[in-house]
Amino acid sequence: MKVITGVVGNDIHVVANRLMELSLNARGYEVFNLGVNTYLEEFFDAAVETGATILLISSLNGEAEGWSREIKPLKQKYKQLDDLVMMIGGNLVVGSGNAKDIVPRYKNYGFDLVCHQVDLNTGLDSLEAFLETRNQS
Amino acid sequence: MSLLQEEREIILGNEFVDSFDFAEVEDFVKNASKELFISHHFKNRKKMLVQPRGGFPTYKKQYSLYEFFVEANVDVLPLTIDSNTRLNDYGTAKKMLRLSEENDIDMLNGYPLVNHGYRTTRKMMTHFNKPVSLRHGTPDARLLIETAIASGIFEIEGGPITYLLPYSKNFPLDKAFLYWKYVERVCANYSKLNEPINRESFGPLTATLVPPSITIVIQLLEMLLSLEEGVKSFSVSFAQNGSMTQDIVTGEVLKKLAKHYAEEIDCGDAIINLVYHQWMGAFPMNKDFAEQLINMSTVIASMVGADKIITKTREEASGIPTKEANAKTVANTQYTLRILNGLPKVVDEEEEEILTLEVMAIMEAVFNDPADTLWRKVFNSIKNGIIDVPFSPHIINHNEMITIRDANKNIRIINRGNVPIPDRCFEYERAQCDLSKDTTSIVNDIIHDIGIMQ
Repeated sequence: MKVITGVVGNDIHVVANRLMELSLNARGYEVFNLGVNTYLEEFFDAAVETGATILLISSLNGEAEGWSREIKPLKQKYKQLDDLVMMIGGNLVVGSGNAKDIVPRYKNYGFDLVCHQVDLNTGLDSLEAFLETRNQS
Repeated sequence: MSLLQEEREIILGNEFVDSFDFAEVEDFVKNASKELFISHHFKNRKKMLVQPRGGFPTYKKQYSLYEFFVEANVDVLPLTIDSNTRLNDYGTAKKMLRLSEENDIDMLNGYPLVNHGYRTTRKMMTHFNKPVSLRHGTPDARLLIETAIASGIFEIEGGPITYLLPYSKNFPLDKAFLYWKYVERVCANYSKLNEPINRESFGPLTATLVPPSITIVIQLLEMLLSLEEGVKSFSVSFAQNGSMTQDIVTGEVLKKLAKHYAEEIDCGDAIINLVYHQWMGAFPMNKDFAEQLINMSTVIASMVGADKIITKTREEASGIPTKEANAKTVANTQYTLRILNGLPKVVDEEEEEILTLEVMAIMEAVFNDPADTLWRKVFNSIKNGIIDVPFSPHIINHNEMITIRDANKNIRIINRGNVPIPDRCFEYERAQCDLSKDTTSIVNDIIHDIGIMQ
């Protein structure tokens, strides 16, 4: 299965991004890693170009929320992406926040899976569970 | 007029520069107090020099930071530059400086040197009459270093590799080499007038599981690129890596090979110094623990035999440190250095041999690149993955090398990618690690290894 991943916005925090690539490869995904400082258009363009089924965005500096508000209007311009599984993880707010408030907000922006300060492998396990449920239905 | 001088006039004709007086600046450097030159202090040093970090937007705050540092018995003052200036965005820096001056809140994470200008900044530098080190992170530092030297700042940190691979995603590396060539030439020319201008490379790189062989190769290459342009005083550096043995071995091999390669290009007359950075990775939130870590770094720097140490503060985990915390770290480090006496000499011959072989093999591969100049050889080597920096965000970096810590917390290479680590060394590195684990547990180990000091 093809996955696009990268760090959204003007965020240079690269460590988790590299580790995600390693972990995704180990789990058998075909990974297209766009690296740090990636804009939404680049993510969606890459999804179209590669035919990826999963988009996994990460963020550490907390600016993901500003970018996520743009997802719905932007995604409408890409007709082929209706079935794209959208996941986001990392530190999703500036300052401190509560996952209980953050998760529904991000789901509303268009994400299927939201991991705020969740351990990397726990997050990827939840992705696998999500894909399994979706394939069954 | 030489091509370099033509380029200088274009660079200094920038709209944010208030008429640069070449003759006056030359005269200033020629007659400047020896105290301002760190190269002079290195020559006459009796102890390890202590240098903190720090930069504030306004003149007033920078001045009062220096007062705190002098009170704490500092040896070398830092001037850390803000991020807009680092990206040559002097317009934004100017606006943010005005806001900082008018509202008493810091709107910049450093001192916007170009906007303050050399006439103003020089007053501060000559007043304190201490050597100052320019800390920035700028790929195109041409205007910045002209302004720095004209201000009386006679140590310039950075380099085309060490200021690019850890900081940027897509600034073109070939351009960075050419911009830094300008920096080296200007430093070399000014060095003829008085004591030499010291250039320093930034060894910590990404500060994330970088193996000593990669650190040393990049230090040596930036040193050679600098010396071949005529620089006469150069500092190689590295950061505490988590294992005392590995730090001591790194220091030994780096010193030995720096001398070796400098002599190879007939630059044996240049003075090479060794700089040690206190832990540059993730710091503990607990401020008392942070102080213990800083203290331990100072002990290791002494074991390594560094000529200068660059300090951290107890507030590292929580943001930009206050001037009080910053000064405290200077006083504490000076105290530790004063009471650390009778250190044993530790030598690990096997580790030194392995590391020396690795570095020389990579250097040989770089020199064997068919390009005609050293900078092009280095550029190609980075592009080909002969040099691969773990966790660099830059698109040119290969990212194939994988490193983990062994049981003694030494950083070991378990996947060498395209880096020509000799087979014997690679087998030795892998033999120190438990490789029976699956990738998921190795990734968990890496996460743990990065946060080792937390």
